Amino acid sequence: MLGDARKAQEIFQTTLREAALRAAHGELPKEPFWLFRDARWRCLEASETDLQAEPLEIDEHDIVPEAPSQIEQLEPAQLAIWISSAPDPQRTALTLFYLDEFDYREILDLAELKLSELSRLLAVGRRQFQAWLDAMLPKKPNV
Amino acid sequence: MKTPHLSRRIRALANCAPITEEQMRDRSMRSAVFRARTSDEFANQQSFDQAVAGLVRSIPIPPDIAEWFSAKDLVSPSKWTWKKTVRNPAVLAIGIALVVIAGVLVFQFVARLNDFPGSATARKLLTIAASTRSVLLDPVSADAGTLSDLFFMKHGLEHYDVPAEFADFRTIGCRVFEDDQSQRVAQIWVAEKRIQFFLFPAERDVKTGAVLRFPGWRYVHQEGWVAAVTEHNGVCFMAALPGREKDLAPYISKTKQ
Repeated sequence: MLGDARKAQEIFQTTLREAALRAAHGELPKEPFWLFRDARWRCLEASETDLQAEPLEIDEHDIVPEAPSQIEQLEPAQLAIWISSAPDPQRTALTLFYLDEFDYREILDLAELKLSELSRLLAVGRRQFQAWLDAMLPKKPNV
Repeated sequence: MKTPHLSRRIRALANCAPITEEQMRDRSMRSAVFRARTSDEFANQQSFDQAVAGLVRSIPIPPDIAEWFSAKDLVSPSKWTWKKTVRNPAVLAIGIALVVIAGVLVFQFVARLNDFPGSATARKLLTIAASTRSVLLDPVSADAGTLSDLFFMKHGLEHYDVPAEFADFRTIGCRVFEDDQSQRVAQIWVAEKRIQFFLFPAERDVKTGAVLRFPGWRYVHQEGWVAAVTEHNGVCFMAALPGREKDLAPYISKTKQ
């Protein structure tokens, strides 16, 4: 969500501290995923103070069979920076989806999206990431 | 490239297809993935997602954060709530079946509450009343109360008396016939509102042969017909007409129970 490990760690700790305080006062919400929702809003708040990427028309390419070999060449930090520079709610959708801990209904609930919106955000995100991969990295045949 | 025709919803679901089978908890998602997996486009999407998820998993997590998740899943599986259980088609089908069975049992119980000795015969006679035409009866124009003598003199039927409430009704015709249990039944057709009277032997105890008596008037209903039945001297009298209980009620004396 942030593309910055130090900030992410700070937010994680702040979120847990706040949760512990609420637990001590018996004020923990009953709704599922409230902790993740809380962390998400903290991340969005934190990134508001960062330098914002200018809104650009980003290229989109069809996903190619060689994409996995292109992705293998990336550093995790590059992916984190790419996702964190995406506008919200696309950033939240991509983060939650690729975390691979939630099913789509849970993502819809957490990100407050409709199925059609989540579908579009993921599809466009994939195509934009593929275009970025094509620009940054040469294609290798997928074995 | 193979691209099967998929509906908008299935395409939307396929775009959100989970990266691993663990997240495939939803039936509609399983169905969408099954439909979409024949396309090359979907296969590319899946390998793309798996590669990105692999990269995400390789992100190093600081040890003080990792220890929070060392023993437990990041997210506990969603609970099986009552709401979810009720929405399950199998549970829904069983629930509807149980409601129908309960409804039938309640209906039968309520029907039993209104039963009385001779109610089964009364219902059969209501069916006969509905199918009888006046031309089938011997024409008789008299007060209904006077037919007791006719039944006794001509057919040897004792105590086949029309109660006082209906004794003054003018008759169109009458007949005596045997029902399916060889019981002799007297049928009278009167001029007013297509009302028919039936006189038949009251039900008896199979062991002792004693008449099973019941007090006052009892109603029975059958296929749009209603009848009021009373028992006197071992003979049941039944007044029947097409309609509802309120159509017959004014004729019944206030001694009805």
